[in-house]
Parts: sequence; C-alpha cells; structure tokens
Amino acid sequence: MSFFSLEQKWFKFVKSSQIKLLTFFLIALISIFFLSVTLGSFDFNLRDLLSRKSDSLDSIVLFEIRIPRVLLAAFVGASLGISGASLQGLFRNPLADPGLIGVSAGAALGASFVIVVGSSFFPEFIFGTFILPFSAIIGASFVISLLYIFTQGFGYQGITYMLLVGIAVNAFASVGIGILTYISTDSELRGLTFWTMGSFGGSSWQLIMPALIIISLTVLWLIPSSRKLDLLQLGEPEAYRLGVDVRRLKFKVIISSAVIVGLSVSLSGMIGFVGLVVPHLVRLLGGVNHNYLLPGSALLGASLMMGADLLSRILIQPAELPVGLITSAIGAPFFLWLIFRIRKS
Amino acid sequence: MSIEVNNLSWEIEDKSIISNISLRIDEGEILTVIGPNGAGKSSFMKLLSGDIETYFGEIYFNGVLLNDISIQERSFIRSVMSQSQEIVYDYSVKEIIEMGWLNRGLSNYSKDFDEAIQKIAIECSVENHLEQRFNTLSGGEKRRVHFARTLIQLWRPSGSLEPRYMFLDEPTANLDILHEQKMMKLIEKKKNEGIGVLLILHDLNLAAKYSNRIAIFCNGELVDIGKPKTVLTDKTLSSIYGLEMKIDKNPFRINYY
Repeated sequence: MSFFSLEQKWFKFVKSSQIKLLTFFLIALISIFFLSVTLGSFDFNLRDLLSRKSDSLDSIVLFEIRIPRVLLAAFVGASLGISGASLQGLFRNPLADPGLIGVSAGAALGASFVIVVGSSFFPEFIFGTFILPFSAIIGASFVISLLYIFTQGFGYQGITYMLLVGIAVNAFASVGIGILTYISTDSELRGLTFWTMGSFGGSSWQLIMPALIIISLTVLWLIPSSRKLDLLQLGEPEAYRLGVDVRRLKFKVIISSAVIVGLSVSLSGMIGFVGLVVPHLVRLLGGVNHNYLLPGSALLGASLMMGADLLSRILIQPAELPVGLITSAIGAPFFLWLIFRIRKS
Repeated sequence: MSIEVNNLSWEIEDKSIISNISLRIDEGEILTVIGPNGAGKSSFMKLLSGDIETYFGEIYFNGVLLNDISIQERSFIRSVMSQSQEIVYDYSVKEIIEMGWLNRGLSNYSKDFDEAIQKIAIECSVENHLEQRFNTLSGGEKRRVHFARTLIQLWRPSGSLEPRYMFLDEPTANLDILHEQKMMKLIEKKKNEGIGVLLILHDLNLAAKYSNRIAIFCNGELVDIGKPKTVLTDKTLSSIYGLEMKIDKNPFRINYY
C-alpha cells in the first residue's frame, strides 16, 4: 500500500483566483525589485548601466552593494512572512508572529551571545560567519519549543497566554542582550546595536549567499506541508485520524521557522511585525488555505520588505533609517486593529 | 473482514477505564455502544481510532494489528467523527468537506472529486452552504458538514471492495428531529453499502431502531452484547442507569420516568 500519499498535488487545492493573485504578487515582487535596485542615495539608470562596461564605479555599487542588499531584504521578508504564516497555522492562532512571541528575540540573544562571549573565546573569530547564524537558529528553536510547551492544548483560547509568554521571553532576551551590552567592548557594542534596530546595510555576496541558499531550501521543504497545516485546523486528534503525522508536522514547522528566522535575524537584526501583518493581508486578499497562504506570504513578504528597505534608504537621504523602525511604524497600528477585530468576533 | 477486539484493557494512573473488553465489528453492520456517562464508551472509540498507543489486549483491523498499520493507511480504512474543536480561520464549508479527501495516487481517481463532493453535500443537506463560511453555520449545520467530511474520507470509486469502517461519537448531538432522522437514515444507507459502523448513542430508542447489535457498557466493562431486542431488558437497563425503565414489546419502545 506504499502508493498511498498525503502529499497532494499542489494546484488541486488552490483556486484559480488564488493562482491569479499569486501571479500578481510575483509581478509586484519583480517590479519592486527593479525599483529598489535603481533608486537610493545613488540612482541608477539600468539601461545606461547595462550598455556600459562593467568596471565603472556605478556597476560596482550596483552589483556589489545594492543588489545583495535588495536580495537580502527580499529573502528576509519572505522568511518572516512564511514563518509567520506557518506558525499561525501550527498554533491555530492568528496572533503568532516570530517577533511578538519572542522567536526573533531568542535569535538575537543567541547571536549577541556569540558576538560578545564568542569573540573572547575565539579572538580570531574564524568561524564567525557560521557560528553566528547557527547560534541565532539555536536561540530561535529554544524559544519556539518553550512556547510550544507552554501553549500546548490552549489553541485559540490561548492567545493572551501565548502573547504573555512572548512578553516574558522578550523581556528575558532584552535582559540577556542588556547584560551582554554592558560587558561588551566598543567594537562588539557596534555589532550589537545593529541587531536591536534591524538593517540590511553592509550585506555582501559572501555574507548572504549561504543564507539565501539555506532559506530557499527550507522554504521548499516546508511548502509541501501546507495541506497538512489545513487539516491541523480541525484539531490535532482529527488531523491525526486523517493520516497526518502530527508530531512530524510540528517538528518540521518549528525547525524550519527557527532556521529561516534565525538566519534572517543573524543577517539583518530584529525586524518586527512583518510575520504578523503579511499572512493577514494574504488571507484577506484571497483565502485561508495554506497551499495559497504559504507561497503568498513569502512573495508578499519579500515585496513589502524590499519596499520598507527602499523607504528607509530614500526618506532622509543621504542618511538611512533603520528598517525595523519602518516595519514597526506600519505594523503596530495594524496589530491594534487586529486585536479589536478579534475582540469583536 | 472485520475489526476484532480481544481482551482490551486501558488504565490511567492505575485507574481502570476499559477492562477486558472483547467484541467484533463486521462490515455492513451498525454496532451501537450505549451506557451511562463515564462507562468508557468514548475511551473505547479512541482506542479503536488509534489515538492511544499503549493498552493491554489486541485490536485487529482485517486481521492486522492496529499498531502495525501506519497512520496514513488507517485513515483509508476508518473515519472518525467526535465532538470537534473550533476552527479559527475562515474556511469555506466546501474546503472543510474537502479536508476528508485523501489522495491515494490513483490517476483516474481524482476526476470524480467534484462529483463526490456534490453528491455527499446533497446527502448531508449542506449543498446550499458550500460557498458559505464555515464559522457562520449553526451547531447542527457544522455537525452535518463534519459528517460530510467523514463520508468523503471513506469515498471510493464504485465497485471498490475495500473494507471500511466509520466511528461516530454521538453523531446526532445538536441536530433537530428532522436532521436526526436524516442522519440515521444516511448512516443506515452507508451500512448497506458495506461500511462497518461503530456508534455511540444516548437515545436508546434511536439505538434500538437502527442498530444491528448493541453493546452495553458500564464501568469500563462489557455488560452484554447482541440484538437490540435481546439485550435491552428492563433489568439490565434499570441496573446500569440506576433508573427505573420499562420496555414495551409491540411496538418496541423503551420508557423511563
């Protein structure tokens, strides 16, 4: 009976209107990408640039600074969007967001720990590029497992409970980061401030390439579970009786969220509210089924994050705003609106 | 083909919930479990559904030990309907019913999909609600939608001879009299199509009318099992419920005061 499989053909449970929306998200993503690449403290005319030789200063700025930065923003946005969507599915709770429930803070604490403590143990900091994201992932996994233990069985009724746990985790992480800040040297401190504000500045191919590959693979690993996340909405016992290995599904969602959020935080710092807002927008636009929601959240998350980064670069030229400031400025009122909406229903 | 339960016992922290129950559920029959609250009816159904992995005794599905059947394969053999949880997100009724659709990798199987959904929606009289949001339905309508999902789970192309079973924990709860009767007729129809049905009911007259056999549970033990008219006696019922009961023979009817 080995031909039995729950991995459904993806398109079967996606409506044609949803496919149209996804196509629209993709077109928006490509347009914003080109807009982001050309605009900034250093405007480019793409047509001019492509017709000229590649060793000019312009093309160095474009290919070595601008494009990696925009790509990183896109991948971080996609990561936060899709992990928000899958965590909201797993917890059966629309307020789950990697930032609000403390997952990003856990990742930041893990990263900060390595910056301050790690550098005194390994003065050369040889493994820095690997240890940093790795400890961010461990920090994120730790927080997600903690949350899962605390909210087990609470489901929808546990919204307040989960957010309170998130507040506690966030407070705990800021204590940790505070202590680390206090004992850090000047150069370490500069590295630390970056994590609490969030920024895509200073990205280079060398730094982002491994992360982009790992994020893409993790997202591809996660997306086939979409239908199982739908079945999980019936309740864990019901999903189990419909043939979903619930334990494995939880493991998969928790690990993949920890990996992509951990990597994102280790490269760009804490960027709030994207994981909360994006899945809600995607649901409002086209429906709640995860076959549509997960890819939709990744695409829209990427577009919105590139847009926020673009704003952060052009609003107060030639200086830059931290991108986390912009996402929180947009996300916080949205969060309030969401709370009122849930209270009404 | 049948489900066989041999000497099934289950305890939580040394408190016996199910003790030493043996029975058989055949294809094409309705076996109803009755008994007072706390008799172990729902626990028994959970054990048979495979929700609980550690117990004493054996459960065989068509001759294979339940614990040797994978979670996925189980979902093709039996469907379960119990009291369900709230659904947070705004799925449409159709999407909820579709959740029972399990892909078995047969290429000519999925073309029947829309037809099967439509047919079962009509059978459960929810065909006018398909595009509606599930959370806007009444309790009884939700129940019927979940029942449609259980039926979709066991849907097979015509002529399929695979054995199938359906476990229903109080399927008529929340239903008005019309839909209660409709639901019972539908369960009877599915039985006649060859599905083995395990029911938990509180309404003894409903149980007597539709069951092929009745199992009486009390304190986790099987008190009696057999044809409704043989096992439903004044003496047994009065003693297990602790309430005086009288049974009219013609027409068969259970009265209590």
